[in-house]
Amino acid sequence: MISKLKHRIRLRGFRLSAKLMITYVLLTVIPMWLLGYVSYRQYTKSIEEQIGEYMPRFLVQANANIKKHMDELSSLPELLFNSDDMIAILRRDSYRSRADLNRDQFEMNSYLARTYLNGNNPDVIGVFLLSKNRLFQSTKLSYSGLDWHQAFTSYGQDLKLRTNVKVILPREIGLRFIDNVPYVLIMKQIEDVDNRKNLGTMFIAVRLSFISTVLRDFEKSDKADLWLMNRSGEIIYHTDPKKIGTFDDKIGEYPILNGSFRERGEDGPRLVSVNESEDLGWVLVHSVPLEELTERADFVRRVTVMVFVGVVVASILIFALFSLRVTRPLKRLSRLMKHVEMGQFNVDLQVQSKDEIGALANSFNSMVATIRELIQRNYHIEIRQKEAELYALQSQINPHFMYNTLETISMAVEEGEKEAVVEMVTLLGRMLRFSVGNKSKFVTIAQEVQHVRDYLTIQKFRFEDRLAFDIAYTLEADGESLYTPKFVLQPIVENAIKYGLEARKGLELHIAVGEEFGARSGKRDLVFRVRDNGPGIPAERLEELERTIREDALAGRDSGFGLSNVNARIVMLHGPDYGVQLHSIHGIGTEVAIRIPVTTASEIERSGHGEERNAREETRNGNDSHLDSR
Amino acid sequence: MFRVTAVLLLLAAFVSACQIGGHPARYEVIYSMEKGTASAQQPSPPAETPRKYTIGIVPKLVEIPYFNLVEDGAAEAAERLGVDIVYKGPTVADSAQQIKIVQELLDQGVDAIAVSANDPEKLLPALVKARQQGIKVITWDSDTYREGRDFFVNMVDAETLGRHLMDTLAWNTQEKGEFAILTGQEKAATLNEWIKWIKVQQEEFYPKMKLVKIAATDDDPQKAYELAKGLLAEYPNLAGIIGNSSVGPPAAAKAVKEAGLSGRVKVVGLSTPNMMADYLRDGSAQIATLWSPKKLGYLTVVLAVDALEGKRPYDGQNIRNVGIIRVNGDVVIMGEPVDFTKENVSQYDF
Repeated sequence: MISKLKHRIRLRGFRLSAKLMITYVLLTVIPMWLLGYVSYRQYTKSIEEQIGEYMPRFLVQANANIKKHMDELSSLPELLFNSDDMIAILRRDSYRSRADLNRDQFEMNSYLARTYLNGNNPDVIGVFLLSKNRLFQSTKLSYSGLDWHQAFTSYGQDLKLRTNVKVILPREIGLRFIDNVPYVLIMKQIEDVDNRKNLGTMFIAVRLSFISTVLRDFEKSDKADLWLMNRSGEIIYHTDPKKIGTFDDKIGEYPILNGSFRERGEDGPRLVSVNESEDLGWVLVHSVPLEELTERADFVRRVTVMVFVGVVVASILIFALFSLRVTRPLKRLSRLMKHVEMGQFNVDLQVQSKDEIGALANSFNSMVATIRELIQRNYHIEIRQKEAELYALQSQINPHFMYNTLETISMAVEEGEKEAVVEMVTLLGRMLRFSVGNKSKFVTIAQEVQHVRDYLTIQKFRFEDRLAFDIAYTLEADGESLYTPKFVLQPIVENAIKYGLEARKGLELHIAVGEEFGARSGKRDLVFRVRDNGPGIPAERLEELERTIREDALAGRDSGFGLSNVNARIVMLHGPDYGVQLHSIHGIGTEVAIRIPVTTASEIERSGHGEERNAREETRNGNDSHLDSR
Repeated sequence: MFRVTAVLLLLAAFVSACQIGGHPARYEVIYSMEKGTASAQQPSPPAETPRKYTIGIVPKLVEIPYFNLVEDGAAEAAERLGVDIVYKGPTVADSAQQIKIVQELLDQGVDAIAVSANDPEKLLPALVKARQQGIKVITWDSDTYREGRDFFVNMVDAETLGRHLMDTLAWNTQEKGEFAILTGQEKAATLNEWIKWIKVQQEEFYPKMKLVKIAATDDDPQKAYELAKGLLAEYPNLAGIIGNSSVGPPAAAKAVKEAGLSGRVKVVGLSTPNMMADYLRDGSAQIATLWSPKKLGYLTVVLAVDALEGKRPYDGQNIRNVGIIRVNGDVVIMGEPVDFTKENVSQYDF
C-alpha cells in the first residue's frame, strides 16, 4: 500500500519545472492557506464566544428592567386605596336606586381616568374594575372582543389568585384595542385589607411600548431579532410587530433558557441568547445571524483571500517564468549537446545572465570552442605531417635524387667498389623504410639522427670531397630515450646542401645535438644545430625568410618550404616557444637551430591515444587520397 | 518517505479543518448561565414542605371581639401560608396566666411565639427562656422589653395615635372641659405610651382641657361599664371619655346612654366598628378609632413565618393583602389609624 503510494507520488519522474512548482506549492501556498484558515476560524470562534457570553448578561439586565417596569405597573392598583371614597364605593353592596349605582359608576370611572389614564404612566391605555357585578372602566382607545359577563365568571370577585399579580396576554382574554395595539393586561385583586374581603378585580391594559423602549437601547441592529415570550412560546413582544401573538414553536428544543447557543437555521447559523425571568416566567430571546457578528472578520477574510489568491497567482506566474528561465537554457543546452554529438561544432549557447546557468552556458561555449580548436589543430598537424612525409618521400623518390643516387651507385659498380654499392643500397633502403614504415609523429633522436646520417652518407658518396659533415652528440641521456618530431632534420640539411653546393666548391656541415637552456621556455630544451659554411643569406632575404617561416607555410614547395614546414609542425606540437631559428652571415655561413622540448617516451604515450586514433583515421583518408592520386 | 509523511499530515490537517465547519448538531451551547446546582436542588424544597411551622399566638385575653378578630386574621394567614397556629390566651388579662400559656406552648414545641403582653416585666423571664430554647419570639399589639423579643408588630405609631385620640375628643368638646381615660391594663406598655402622648398633646394644644382620671378596665367589659358609670357619677362636669383599649368606648357609651347624657359627655377612643356602630348612630359615641384587628393578626403571622425563614421585616416592605409597612428599629408599624363615624361605620364588618 505504502510502497504503491510511494511509487505513485514519486517525483523523480516529473520534469524539473513541475518539481519546482510542487515544492513551491507545498512550502508556500499550503502553509499560508492553512495559517489563514485556522486563524480565521479561531477569530470568529472567539467573537462568537465573547458575544455569547456578554449577550445573556445584557438580557439579564433587560429582563431586570422589564421586571422593574412590571413591578411599577403592578403597584398601580394600590393607587385606589388613596381614595377613601372609592374604597367606600367598592365596599357598597346594594343600591336603593339605579341612579345611585350610576352616580357611583360615574365617580369611579372619573377617578380611574384621572388617576390612571392621565396619571404618570403614559403606557396605560385602559383600566377595568370588576366589583360585585359592577363594571367600572376607563380607556383611551376603543376596544372590542370582550364579553364582560363572561369575564365576571372567569375573573370575578370570587377568584382566589394564587399570585399577587397575573399577566394576561391578549389571546387569553380576547380583548382587542383599535389598530391591534400590542398590550398586556395586568390583573390584580383588590383586597379590603381592613375587612379582609375581596373587593373586586382590577385589569390594567398596558401598551407594550415600554418593552420596546427597554429593548431599543439594547439592540440597534435591524438584522437581529429580539423577542419576549412566555414559557409556552407565545410571543408577547417582538421587534417584528407582525410576530406578536404568534408562537415560537422551537422553545421546546432550546437546549438552555439561560445562556447562548448556536442555531443552524435555514438561512445560516445564528447566535441565540436567552434569559428567563423567574418572576414573570418570561423568556427574553436575542437572535442574530452569525455573519452579522463576524461581518468585519468576513470582510477581512474576503480581502485576505483576494490578496492571497492574487499573491499566489502572481507568485506562481513569477515562479513559472523563473523556472522557465532555468529550464529553457537547459533544454537548449541538451539540444545543442546533441548537435555537438552529431559533430556540429558551430554552436553558441546564448545566455546573458550571470548566474549559474550563465556560467554553465559559458563553460559549455568555451568547451565546445576548445574542442573545435583542438580538432582543428590536430587536423592541421596531421596535414603537416602528411605533407612532410610526402615531401620526404618525394624528395627521396625525387627522380633527381634517385637519378643521382642510382648514377652514383652505377658508377661505383663500374669502378668495382662493391662495398660502397652495398652500403649505398642499404642506406637507401633504410631511408625509404624510415619514411614509409613508421606512422608515428615522433621518433627517437637516435632514429632521426640516423636518418639524416644515412642521407648525408649517400650524398657523400656522390659529392665525395665537396661535402664534409660531422654530427656532434652532446646529450647526457642516450638517443633512444628521448623523442623528437619526425623529419625535422632532413629538410634543413637538404636545404643547406642545395644552396651550399650551388655557390661553393666544398661544403662543411656541422650538426650538433644537445641540451641548452631556453630563454623563452625557461627550461632546458633540446636543440639541433645545423651549421654550414655556405654562401649565407643576405639580410633582406633573411628577414623575408623568417617572416615566411612564422606565417603559415602552405606556400608551395619552393625555397623555405622545408624550413616553414618544420617550424609549423613544432609550433603546433609544442607551442610558440619552440621552433626553428635562423642565423646567417652573408658570405660566411648559416646556422639553423631547431628547438624542441625534452620529450620522453611517457609524455608521448600520454598525448598519444587521441592522436593515435586521429592518425588512424587520417591514414584511412590518406589511403583514399592515395587511391585518388593513382 | 518523509515526503509521504508530510503529505499525509497535510491531508489530515485539511480533513480535520473541514470537520470543524461541518458540525451536525442543530444547537450548540456556547455559554450557559443555568445554575446547575439550583436546578439540581429544585426538587428538594418540596420534600421539606410537609414539615409545617407551628406558631403560638398569645393575646392579652380571649373572647373579646378585638382579639377574636385578630384570631380570624391569623387564621386566614395561616391557611394562606400553610402553617399551623395555636391561638391561646388567658380568659382574663392576667400575666400569670400568660406566662403559663407561654410555657405550655413551649412544651407543645411551637416554632415561634407571638405575644401581646399584659405586663412587659412579668412576662419577660418566660419569653427570654423561650428565646434561649431557640424559639422565635415576637410581640404584637402590646410590647415587652427588647431582650424578650425579636421585634414588635405595632399597629400604629404611638405618638400619632396618642395625639390623634386627644384631637378627636377636642373636636367634640370644643377644646375644653374635664375628661377621663379608660385604659386597659395598668401596666401595659403600649397603652401607657399612648396615654403619654395624649397628655403631651393636651398640654401642648388644649390648655382648657383637664385629665381628671385614668381608670384601668383590664379589658373586662363588665368592669369597664362599672368604671364608666363611676366616672360619670364622680365627675359631674365631665366633658368626655377617651377609651384607650377596645373594651373602653362601648362601655363608656353604654354608661353615657343609660345616664341620659348622650351628646353631653362625648365618647371617643379605640374600639371596633361593630361594637361601636349602634352608639355612633344614636349619638352616644362620637368617633371610634382603630385599625383592622384582622389585618394585625394576619400581619403578625406573616412576619412570624418570615422570621422563621430568616427574613426580617424591612421599611417599605409591601406585604401582600396588608400593604406597605414601616419599620423603625425593631418596631414594625402596620399603618395608619382609621376613624369610624356614623357615616362610614357601616363599611366595616369588624
